[in-house]
Amino acid sequence: MSVVSDLVDRKEIIVCAGSGGVGKTTAAAAIGMHAATRGKKVAVLTIDPARRLASSLGLKELSNEPHRVSARKFSAAGLEAKGELYAMMLDTKTTFDQVVMKYAPSREQAEKIIGNRFYRNISSTLSGTQEYMAMERLYELHAEGGYDLIVIDTPPTRNALDFLDAPRRLTDFFESRVLRWFLIPYMKAGGGFMRVANVAAGTFLRIVKRIVGAEVLDDTAEFFGSLEGMYDGFKQRAREVAALLHSQVTSFVVITSPAEQSVAEATFFASRLDEAGLPFGALVVNRVHPRFGDRIEARPRQISKLEQGSAEARLLAKLLENEEAFMRVVELEERNLEGLARKIPRHRWVRVPYLEQEAVDFPGLAAIADQLFATTAPAVRR
Amino acid sequence: MKVDELLAPRILVVSGKGGVGKTTVSAALAVIAARTGRKVCVAEVDEKGSLPRLFGHGDLSYEPTELSPGIWGLNITAENALREYLHLQYHMRRLSHVFTGTHFVDYLATSAPGINDLLVIRKIWYLEQGPAKGGTNQTYDTIIVDAPAAGHMLTFVGAPQGFYDAIPVGPIRHQVQWVLDMIEDPARTRVSLVTTAEEMPVAETIETVEALHGRLGVGTGPMFANGLYDGLFKQKELSALNDVDPQDMIALARATGLDLDKDDISSAVSYARFLEARRAIQRRHLRVLRAGVDEPIVQLPFLFSAGLGAPDIITLADVIEARLAAL
Repeated sequence: MSVVSDLVDRKEIIVCAGSGGVGKTTAAAAIGMHAATRGKKVAVLTIDPARRLASSLGLKELSNEPHRVSARKFSAAGLEAKGELYAMMLDTKTTFDQVVMKYAPSREQAEKIIGNRFYRNISSTLSGTQEYMAMERLYELHAEGGYDLIVIDTPPTRNALDFLDAPRRLTDFFESRVLRWFLIPYMKAGGGFMRVANVAAGTFLRIVKRIVGAEVLDDTAEFFGSLEGMYDGFKQRAREVAALLHSQVTSFVVITSPAEQSVAEATFFASRLDEAGLPFGALVVNRVHPRFGDRIEARPRQISKLEQGSAEARLLAKLLENEEAFMRVVELEERNLEGLARKIPRHRWVRVPYLEQEAVDFPGLAAIADQLFATTAPAVRR
Repeated sequence: MKVDELLAPRILVVSGKGGVGKTTVSAALAVIAARTGRKVCVAEVDEKGSLPRLFGHGDLSYEPTELSPGIWGLNITAENALREYLHLQYHMRRLSHVFTGTHFVDYLATSAPGINDLLVIRKIWYLEQGPAKGGTNQTYDTIIVDAPAAGHMLTFVGAPQGFYDAIPVGPIRHQVQWVLDMIEDPARTRVSLVTTAEEMPVAETIETVEALHGRLGVGTGPMFANGLYDGLFKQKELSALNDVDPQDMIALARATGLDLDKDDISSAVSYARFLEARRAIQRRHLRVLRAGVDEPIVQLPFLFSAGLGAPDIITLADVIEARLAAL
C-alpha cells in the first residue's frame, strides 16, 4: 500500500501544500477521487481561482458549497465510486461574512461591518485573508462532520509557507499598534484629522488623505471601531484551527516537482512543518521524467560510427542519443531531490512520472491517482 | 522579426503562469538586449525570485546592481517603492519607517486596492524616465519586468487604470496619468507571455492576451512557448520502432565496441516512445495557442541540461535570436 493510501484510510483532513505550478490541485483532486473509490465520503476544497479543479472534475462551476461529482464520471473512466466525491471552491468573501456574523455581538454590528467599504476591500486584497478563510472553511466543514475525509488545496502563492502564517498575519493586522495608534485618535476626534493632537498621527493622516482620500479614513475608522470586542473571538478561533491542524486527524502532503526551485521550497516547507509540530504525511514528487533503465554509456565515437551505417544503425544512434538526453534529465532531477531525502525518508515519497496523457479530464486524473496509490511505482526504479 | 523590433519598446513585461519559465526567458531577453549594446535593467517584482541566481548572483535589492556586463537588476517591493515615493514627493525621511511598515502598506493596499501595484509601476516609470525625474541615477535602454504570474499580472498592469477611475481629482491623478500613458503606449511598453504547451497554461495565456487587448488596452510582444521537445525521429523511424529486433541492435552496437543488453534496448525504445507521446500532447496545445493569439510565437526547446545557470541562459538567448530571425 502506498504511503498516500494509508493517509486516505486513517486521516480526516489532508492538506496539500507546495509552491505554484507543481500540480497541487491535480494531486488534491486525484486523492479525493481515489478516496471515493475506496468508499469514503470525501470533499475536495480548492482555493485556486483558476477553476482548474472544476474542469478536471467535469464541473462547470465550483462554489463555496460542495457539489457532488456524478458517479457516471467514475464509471465512464472505468472506476466504481463506492463512496461519494464532492468538490468546492473557496469563496473568501462569503466565508469572511459568516465569520463576522458569528463573532459580532449584534446583528446590527455585523451588518455595519459587512457594509463597510474597507471591509469589502479586505476580502479581495489584504494578503493572508484567502489563506485564513481557507482554514476557517476547513474547520467549519470538519466541525459539521458530514465527511469522512476533507482534502484541501492551499493557495497558489509562490511561497508555500504563507498559509501557515496567514491567520496570525491577519489578526496582527487587526490589532496592529501602528494602525490603532493613528486611527484611534482620529476616531476619538470624531473624524476631524486636523484636531488630532498627536503630531505624528496628524502627519500620518494628512498623507493618507492625500493618497487615498478622506472617505477612506472614515471607512477605516468605522471598520476598526466596529471590530472592537470581536478580537477575542477571532483569536479563539485561530487557536482552534491551529489545534485541528496539529491534531492526529490531519496530515500534510507536500507536493513538489523535481525542479531545483520547487525542491528547495519543499525542503524548507518540510522543516517548517517539523518546527511547527505539524503532522507530515507524504511527499509527492510530481512530473518526474520516468527512468526506464540504467544509463547506457555510449561514447560519441560509437554513436558517430552508427550514424554512418545502415538505416537500422542510424535509428540505433538516435535511440542512444535520445536515451542519453533523457538520462541527463533523470539524473539531474535525482540530484535535485537528494537534499530532500535527508529531510524526508524515501519511504514517505510517492513519485508521479510525466504521463503519456494529461490530468485535465477525469480519466487523466484517474491515471494520476493510479500512480499515487500504486503499491510499487512502476517504471521508476531507484 | 528583428531583435531591434522586439526591443523597440523600452519596457518589456514578461509574465506567465507559475512554473513555465518566465524568469528564465526574462534573463535570456536581458542577455539578447545586452548583446546589442543596450544597457539593460531587469526588475524583479514583489517576491525575491531566482533571477539573480541565473547570473550567479545573490538576492537583489531595491538599488540596481550589475549582474553581468551591461545587465543590471533590482527587486521592487511596494514597501520600498512607497518609501521612495514619500521621500521624493513629501521629502519625508524621519517618519517613513512607520509608513512603510508591513501593516501600513497592507492598510494602504486595503483602503485603496491596487495602490501596491501602482507604486511598483510608478518605480518602473522612474526607471524609464531616468535621472531627470529622480528615483534613479542611471538611464537604461531596456527595462525587463519579471512580472507576477499571469492572474495577478492583469491586476498589476490594470492598477493604474483602476486607480485613475477611482480618484476624481488631485495631484495623484496627474501622476497616475503619466504612468498610464507609459503602460498604454505600445511604443513604450509591451507584454510578452511565456507558456508551456500544456492545457492550463495555454488557456490562461489566451485569456490574458484577450484581457490585455480588450479591457486593458496594453500592447503585446511575441509569445514564448517554452519546454518543447525537439523532434528527433522521422515518421518512418517511429514506425520502425515497433519492429525493432533487440538482437540486431545488440549486434550493431557490438560492432562499434558498445555492449548493450535487451533491457538497454527496451529502455532506449521507451524513451523514444515517451518523447513522441509528449510531443503529440505539446503539438495539440501549440495548435490551440496558435489559434488563440495573433502574436508571433517563439518556440523554445526543452533544455535537457536545464539546471539554473548562465550556460542555459546563453543557450536560450541564442535560440531566441535564431527563432526571432526566422519568424
